Formats: sequence, C-alpha cells, structure tokens
Amino acid sequence: MKARTVRLWSMVHTWTSLISTLFLLLLCLTGLPLIFHHEIDELLGYAPQPEAHASAARATPQVVADAALAADPGRVLQYVSWDKDEPGIVTAFTNSAPDGAPDNATVRAFDAVSTKLLGPVGVGPMLIVLKLHTDMFAGQAGKLFLGAMGLLFAVAIVSGVVLYWPFTRRLRFATIRDSAARRVRWLDWHNLIGVVTVAWALVVGLTGVVNTWAELMLNQWKATELASMVAPYAGKPPPVRLASLDDVVVRARQAAPGMEVAFIAFPGAPFTSSHHFAAFMRGDTALTARLLKPVLLDGETGEVADIRALPLYLQALLISQPLHFGDYGGMPLKVIWAALDALTIVVIGSGLYLWVARRRKRAPAKAETFARRARVPS
Amino acid sequence: MHGFSDRARLWTRVLAAPGLLAAATITGLLAALLWGTVGQYVAWVTVGAPVAVVAWVWVRRRPQKTGPFSPTMRGK
Repeated sequence: MKARTVRLWSMVHTWTSLISTLFLLLLCLTGLPLIFHHEIDELLGYAPQPEAHASAARATPQVVADAALAADPGRVLQYVSWDKDEPGIVTAFTNSAPDGAPDNATVRAFDAVSTKLLGPVGVGPMLIVLKLHTDMFAGQAGKLFLGAMGLLFAVAIVSGVVLYWPFTRRLRFATIRDSAARRVRWLDWHNLIGVVTVAWALVVGLTGVVNTWAELMLNQWKATELASMVAPYAGKPPPVRLASLDDVVVRARQAAPGMEVAFIAFPGAPFTSSHHFAAFMRGDTALTARLLKPVLLDGETGEVADIRALPLYLQALLISQPLHFGDYGGMPLKVIWAALDALTIVVIGSGLYLWVARRRKRAPAKAETFARRARVPS
Repeated sequence: MHGFSDRARLWTRVLAAPGLLAAATITGLLAALLWGTVGQYVAWVTVGAPVAVVAWVWVRRRPQKTGPFSPTMRGK
C-alpha cells in the first residue's frame, strides 16, 4: 500500500472515529446495562411477577382485554401482547385514542391466569437508559442522528481494517510491545482489540443503524402493503361494536397454522387500519419467533380479511433486533455481549488517547520548526 | 514467484487469525438464531473467542512484565 493511500485511509479513520466518538461512548455505556435490563428491572422491583398457579387454565384474551380496560377507565386498548419468554404474563397497551402517540400509552402487565393487574411495564431507571440509547430524548430526529453516527462507526471500522495491514505487517499477531513507549503499547492494544472484535462491532453497529430506521420502514409498510391489504374495505367506518378478542385469536391461529399470536393491534392503532384487528403471528424457533406474519381481521365480525408475509425490509429489521440486543443465546451470550461492549469502549477510548498523544507529540516538533524558521540571521 | 509466495505468507501471518475470528463470530451470531439450543452453545464458544484472545494476551503478558526475569526488572 502506498504511503499516500495509507495517509488517506488514516484520515478517514481518524475523522469518522472522532466525529462519532462521544456518541459511540454514550451508546456503549448505555448499551451495557441494557443487555441485562430484564435482570436489573427484576432486581430493582420494576419487573412484574406472575402469580403462582398450579397448572390452572389461562384466562381467555377477551377476559384479559376487559381487565385492561377496567384498570384504565375512559381509555381504549391499542395492543395486547403475549411474550414467548413470559408465558405467565399478558401485556396491554391503553391510550386516550386508538391512534394515540406511543409516548402517551400506558403499558400494564396482567396475570395470564387470574388477569390480576401486576403493575406497569417499561418504567424505572432503565427507561431513561433506553431513551438515552435510542434517541437521546430527541424523538425521531435523535434516532436518525444516532443512526448516522452508527454509519460513521461502520466507516471507521472498515478503514481501521484497511489500516491494520500496514500497521501490523511487521509484527506477529497479538504482539503488545511492552518495552516501547506508552503510546505504542496502546496502539498495539487498539489494533488487537479492534481487529478481533471487528465482526461483532460491525454487526452490532449496522443492526443498530437499521433499528433507527424502524419507524420509517413501518410507515413505508403502512403506506404500501397495509394500504393494499385494506383497500377492499376503503370507506368503511370504524367498527361500532368490536368482535370478541377470543374469536379474533382463534381465527388468526386457523389462518396461520403452527403459529402463535405475538400481539394484536386493535382497529385504529398505528399497526393496522381503522376497521381491522391485526394479529401478528410468530413461529416457535429462534428465527421464526422473530419473523412476524400479520393477519388482518374484520373489526366487527372477526373474519380473516388478508394474510401475507412482511416485506423483506421489515423482515431484515426484525432479524436485526436480536443481533443488536444479544438476547437470543441465554445468559452466557449476554455476558459475552457485555465483554465485547466493554472492549469496544476500550477501543474507542484508546483511539481518542492515541489521537491526543499524537497531537501532543507533533506540537513541540512544529514549534521547533517554527522557531528555527523564525531565527533570521542578522 | 518468490515475491508472490512471500507476500502471500505475510498476508496469511497477519490476517489469518483476525479472519478466522471474524468468521467464527459471524458463524456464532447466526448459529444461535438458526440452530436452537445447539446453536447457542456454538455461539458461546465462537462469539466468545475474541474475548478469550484478548484475555489470553492480557494474562500472558502480565507475568512477563512483572516476573523476575522480565526485561524491565533486569534493566533495573
């Protein structure tokens, strides 16, 4: 590689890293507790716990829906969801209107058997950490900005890989020159940690970027796929009397055999039309449990109106989520995820240190050159 | 011919280990998603490999640095 090419890549690496450093540190630091948010919520008492029942039958979906409405008088249901990993809990989202903003929604957990209110979901200190991580309390603009920082991070990683060759070709793999200056030692650590974590950092970085586009993708799906699914019902008013949720669940299961209901959007909610329930179905393997399939059902009769797979871009979004969160391989994978996150913090911190140290080293040299030039012979 | 093989050997020496680790990481990330419980075990080993390498380098250099025959100690 020519010296000029190395200089060019070095410049790309330096500036893409520097611009995104502060935000990447924020993302890594907030991401660390988020890996264990279930455990932290449980520890702090913010995770609703189901009651103990000896093999009792679960309440029907309509009974849960009634309990949710009774717990929040004057409001309407937007979603009811069933978590695969929490079979004893049903979660209900209520809002002031069917199309109410997500920030105005009240999310509560109910016991799946007794329908007793177990408490609010998604509250406590982890909510603040989550908001900092996803949009820095700046809404969609904050999300897109962090997505842009993620893209810079990806460019920094790629340019770092390109620079790895000229910087390490004279060294054995994993050499740390302990007898050299501190800057050189940190350069070796920076190169080693950076190159061994490159695949993970790139996957987590890019899946994070994809996640920041979630709302844009959903809007696109609603404007195209969902619009064509509900087209035959154009002009129909919102249902006066809703179909029983029990019927809706049974029919959705019949329409998607072998799948379970992940969540149901009520007519008018952002994930469906004003006239339809949308049941989002999931499979039972690690992969198919993520790839949801929407079944559209008439809001009044509960009859299946349409069923079709999500478009590729939404499937990519759904698959990108576990690859970003690291929550799909049990506690050992979470611990490894945390260790890799901590190593990324070291890479970012050492990169910043190397930049500062290089500037400090250059400053006296520049001053000396300037002084030499200034000494005009009398 | 020699130049080419020397260069290839150099490329292998510098990039083989990082390349293998990257491939292992990607395999592990997908394994847990596609192969159920077995995939999870694969993921623990392969995604954890980079962490193990860093830990190994860290542990390996500590005795060298503080041991009785370390260059630093001899220098003193």
